[in-house]
Amino acid sequence: MDNCLEVKNLSKSFGNFQLRDITFTLPKGYIMGLIGPNGSGKTTTIKLILNMLKRTNGEVKILGLDNITDEQAAKSNLGVVFDTNYFSDDWKIPQVEKSISAFYPNWNTHKFSDLLEKFRILPSKKVNELSKGMQMKLMLACAFSYDAKLLILDEPTSGLDPVSRDELLNILSEYIEDGGHSVLFSTHITGDLERVADYITYIRYGELFFSGGKDEFIDSFQIVKGGHGELPADLSAKAFGIREFTTGFEALIRTQDQKQFAHLSAEPATIDDIVVFTNKIGGQHE
Amino acid sequence: MSNIWKSVKLDFSLVEPYTKTILFALVLPSVFAAINRSLLTGISFAMCFMAMTTGYTFSVTERNSMERLYGILPVRKSEIVIGRYIFIIIMGLIALLFSLIAHPILLVVLGETIRLSDIGNAAAMGIFLFALYTVFLLPGYYKLGSIKGRMFLYIPAACFLATLSFITMDPAKNSTLFFTVIRFPAISVILAIAAAAAMYILSILVSVKIVQNKEM
Amino acid sequence: MKLIISNISGVPIYEQIKQQIKAAIMSGNLQENETLPSLRTLAKDLKISVLTVTRAYTELEQEGFVKNIQGRGCFVLGQGSELLKEQLICKIESNLSEAIKAARTANLSAEELHHLLDILMEVTTDG
Repeated sequence: MDNCLEVKNLSKSFGNFQLRDITFTLPKGYIMGLIGPNGSGKTTTIKLILNMLKRTNGEVKILGLDNITDEQAAKSNLGVVFDTNYFSDDWKIPQVEKSISAFYPNWNTHKFSDLLEKFRILPSKKVNELSKGMQMKLMLACAFSYDAKLLILDEPTSGLDPVSRDELLNILSEYIEDGGHSVLFSTHITGDLERVADYITYIRYGELFFSGGKDEFIDSFQIVKGGHGELPADLSAKAFGIREFTTGFEALIRTQDQKQFAHLSAEPATIDDIVVFTNKIGGQHE
Repeated sequence: MSNIWKSVKLDFSLVEPYTKTILFALVLPSVFAAINRSLLTGISFAMCFMAMTTGYTFSVTERNSMERLYGILPVRKSEIVIGRYIFIIIMGLIALLFSLIAHPILLVVLGETIRLSDIGNAAAMGIFLFALYTVFLLPGYYKLGSIKGRMFLYIPAACFLATLSFITMDPAKNSTLFFTVIRFPAISVILAIAAAAAMYILSILVSVKIVQNKEM
Repeated sequence: MKLIISNISGVPIYEQIKQQIKAAIMSGNLQENETLPSLRTLAKDLKISVLTVTRAYTELEQEGFVKNIQGRGCFVLGQGSELLKEQLICKIESNLSEAIKAARTANLSAEELHHLLDILMEVTTDG
């Protein structure tokens, strides 16, 4: 089995929000970034994958197993990190292990204590005495101790300092090194993904905007810039958002459209650029 | 080890930091038993206090948004709910056994005479009362959360008191059956267990339904 | 082997890896039959995407610098490889055409240009 996560036509309607037809595939051994501004549907997608929300439509396969009919089997190989920890804050570290380990048949106590040492988490501490970064690492240590094959992280870096964010990226790179582990990583801090992600799934207004290789994603957009008065009339039809200012303008276009505007100076777009420009109000042409 | 039993253990670790409060709730009813010189009063309070302390499991999970943990563990929602009921029944049995041993000793020391049939009837009432308190309370917690759900503790308590006063108002008519039963404590215990079992089954079904329909 | 990735050079990371490995092969720092670091280890060490390294290695293979043997790693083909030679010839051709262009601008005859080349070749073999 080569795909560790398959999401097909996943849909969900709430009162005033709709997630429509989300489809993407994460091959085994890679890191996928799930991006989009707040409220675009990232967390909803993750909660649907975890069957914490009921889908209106679609299909989800975790490690080849249906996420509803084979929920328990799928989850025993799944690790999850949320933006805040989900343990009782009165627990000490050994209580965390005692409470969680029983649910995972292949829990490795030695590995857990090794990881605590590696992540510099003191076992004598209570959960609420740990910093946010430490709490994140505690969740990771748990997931690694039962050798979760797929790791899902929902906004793990929000509220983290740069040091902890860097440590997380190191941990994830190490985690997937053997080719048998995969990561789905939702974040609105796209800088974290710029280097380390292999795939990008971009959800905008509850709809899939793109899913595929990160390089392909970045390469398919360009930023074009020009001076005041140089704004071509046909640009607004092609551009995803134009920013005009007193001395000039900049806009995001598809690389395939670039030859049409060859006289403008162009530069590669970053993931951040793409997200920002494709979310400018009134700037979209689709 | 089945998933249900693992869930029971998880519940015990949820309340572990509150051990002192729980022990206090276990011992305090002895005082009421001593003041009123009554086994039934002591048991009633013991069951009520223990039913109240079980709310810790709900308040702790709520405060830490631990529904997310339950959402990722490889266990069915129904197993978690049944585990919670078993945890609460175990806590109730601990309170019952403790009171059935401690209160008679205390009362005898104070000079009361306690017959074996009194203990039997106290046990029957303890079982029935604890079931009555918790079978409404747990679905209430699941549906409304740990703060609003608490009012489901007072509703059955009020009903129980009303019924009790109704029975004692016209003893001749209403309580023939009642007094027949309490003359044979074995029957009252069996009746109480049967009633509690039926109530718990219904209550579990309701709670499982509530939890399965809940989105987190 | 030394590999340094710059985030601000504007050159894509896979291109930076390619260029540096090519340079190492041409300068002899990487010898024939030496293995490149494993794809996933390199990705981890440089904290970059596995697919980025894959792309760099695949393109290096297509250009004839390395040979990827499934399960054993990526081997340097060495300077004797035909494709590598072709690559080098290409590079020489483009550099020479530059030289010719400059010579025309400077009004240098073909003979003078040949002579210049001879001198330069002598200098580099001596030095």
